[in-house]
Amino acid sequence: MKTAIAIDALRAAVARMPHDRLTPTRRAALEHLDREGTPTIRHEDWKYTDLATVIEISNQWLADGARTVAPPSADATIASITRRFDAHWLIIANGAVDTDSITAAQMAGIHVTPLSESQSIPQFEAPLSDLNIALLRDGLHIRIDAGAAPDKAIGVLVIDSAAVAAATSQTRVEIELAANSKASFIEYHRSTGDADHYANSVFNLVVGDNADANYVRLQDRDPGHSQTGRLTASLARDSRFRHCAFDLGGKLIRNDLSIELTGPGAAASLHGLYLAGDEQHIDNHTRIDHRVGLSRSEQEYRGILSDAARCVWNGKAIVHNGADGTDAKQANHNLLLSKTAEVDAKPELEIYADDVKCSHGTTIGQLDEAAMFYLRTRGLDKREARQLMTRAFAQSIVGMTPIESYQEAIREQVADRLNQLTLGDDQ
Amino acid sequence: MLEIRNLTARIGDAEILRGVDLSVNSGEVHAIMGPNGSGKSTLAQVLAGNDAYEVTAGSVVFKGNDLLELEPEERAREGIFLGFQYPVEIPGVNNAYLLKAALNARRQQQGLEEIDAFEFLKLAREKMALLDMDPKFLNRGVNEGFSGGEKKRNEILQMAILEPSLAILDETDSGLDIDALRAVAKGVNSLRSPDRAIVLVTHYQRLLGYVEPDHVHVLSDGRIVRSGDKSLALELEEKGYDWLREAAGA
Repeated sequence: MKTAIAIDALRAAVARMPHDRLTPTRRAALEHLDREGTPTIRHEDWKYTDLATVIEISNQWLADGARTVAPPSADATIASITRRFDAHWLIIANGAVDTDSITAAQMAGIHVTPLSESQSIPQFEAPLSDLNIALLRDGLHIRIDAGAAPDKAIGVLVIDSAAVAAATSQTRVEIELAANSKASFIEYHRSTGDADHYANSVFNLVVGDNADANYVRLQDRDPGHSQTGRLTASLARDSRFRHCAFDLGGKLIRNDLSIELTGPGAAASLHGLYLAGDEQHIDNHTRIDHRVGLSRSEQEYRGILSDAARCVWNGKAIVHNGADGTDAKQANHNLLLSKTAEVDAKPELEIYADDVKCSHGTTIGQLDEAAMFYLRTRGLDKREARQLMTRAFAQSIVGMTPIESYQEAIREQVADRLNQLTLGDDQ
Repeated sequence: MLEIRNLTARIGDAEILRGVDLSVNSGEVHAIMGPNGSGKSTLAQVLAGNDAYEVTAGSVVFKGNDLLELEPEERAREGIFLGFQYPVEIPGVNNAYLLKAALNARRQQQGLEEIDAFEFLKLAREKMALLDMDPKFLNRGVNEGFSGGEKKRNEILQMAILEPSLAILDETDSGLDIDALRAVAKGVNSLRSPDRAIVLVTHYQRLLGYVEPDHVHVLSDGRIVRSGDKSLALELEEKGYDWLREAAGA
């Protein structure tokens, strides 16, 4: 197959990885990848997102010797992000975990360890998760003690650069919230450089009994760079997971979000906003498994697309046998600002229990012409009217950001991106 | 101020305006009355620049300029205000934000500086008091969840803040209870001035009891078939519109 990963070159690259506690897992992941391959558009879950370009970037990088690029000097970029979002920041630059930031983040109730030094054995069965482990230089393990409630969010800043040659990076973060703890997290992705770049990240959360996890993900990659990201969360009895994600940049972006509600009383809310222009491709796949009854989930994703952007939203909720008393809601709303933009919206409900409350709704539309005219009769030009209306549309997601102190910074960043998207006249 | 000559306009294949002539001078209040479907709202929409309507002939000159050449926002900045018959709900767009943006667009055109937040709030509160509006409406979405009467008051509030040269109020009186009607009339009367003109588009004489017009016109089948002073409105109230249609057809 033309777009398969170059397995021999990959094998050679894995052999050169550091010898540490992760070594057996890297090798096992490599064999898994060799057997299973990477997803292609023949897989139902991947039919709209062709990974050929990111596989080619990976192969190019492998052919060039799979060199470890020195972390970019990105102090100014890092400072601009950490200034706007107050958090205990952990920095992963070009796949290398910054050990100083690990030291700085240690405090009462928070334990941060390089993955290679933790007891955790990472799982790799999901698509691209095997590639992630096989090429993982190191990752992070974060544990929040029982009953702990850190004073501010824990941030993971993934910053990549590809200045002269095609490059890839792998990020892996395993997060454990012990019972009755309460913590907030921000996952921020940023990249720079003119060469091709493909980032592949996996974040896994285990949320203990009655624990509370707030989670913000913000992706603002260079328009030439691509990313696949997986986020999983397993929610125990009476735990809460509130997630809000923003995709503002990137070329080809695929996010897989998989939530398991394993204990009664568990609740998950997933919100997301994707803003896409040019030929950007942003694919959000969510899956929520209601394994037990009396669990709740709600999700709402919104998208604003211009130019020839292409977005996908596929939200799946599965109510397993016996999960009676489940409440699951899903919604996806899209605004198309141009005739050439395209959205595939697919809500899916699979229900194997009797007593459940489930709903879903999707919309795809243009800006309301009557409202546009109304605003123009008040003296706003077309562009101002479009900006005002798109901001209002986006704000209902921004307002769901579970770390409230971040809302203003996100609102501004979203407005900046919308200013670019609403420039065109084909609307 | 406004000179309309032989204006014809259509939407799709339907010709709605069939040669409207109307002159409005500064300081005047005109009422345009007429039966349903006579073209009253179309005239208002065409003057505001709604491109769903196609102007097929005629001219409109506003303050010496060809109005039909201007975009809706340019007309607004030049001082035309349309009070909508059905004000649009725009969820998530803050009412105060829109009011301030609209006022600043107008001020910029007039060569004035942007109004600061403090002055704006003062102005908005003052105008809201005049209209018996609760200041909490400032922080709601534009017309979002407003009752019919609240929407109309909000239109008048916008007008009172923007202080247009020419205000066209399309059926602002419809669906209002007596208190709201009085508040709206108070708002309109507060704007009467020698350098401003007001055009009231209405089906009923009701509002004209509170806002006394200088001229009354009857629009029927896309033409102005009769003009007169305020007594014409009373005559219409008494006799209906049919006798005029017959007179026009004869």
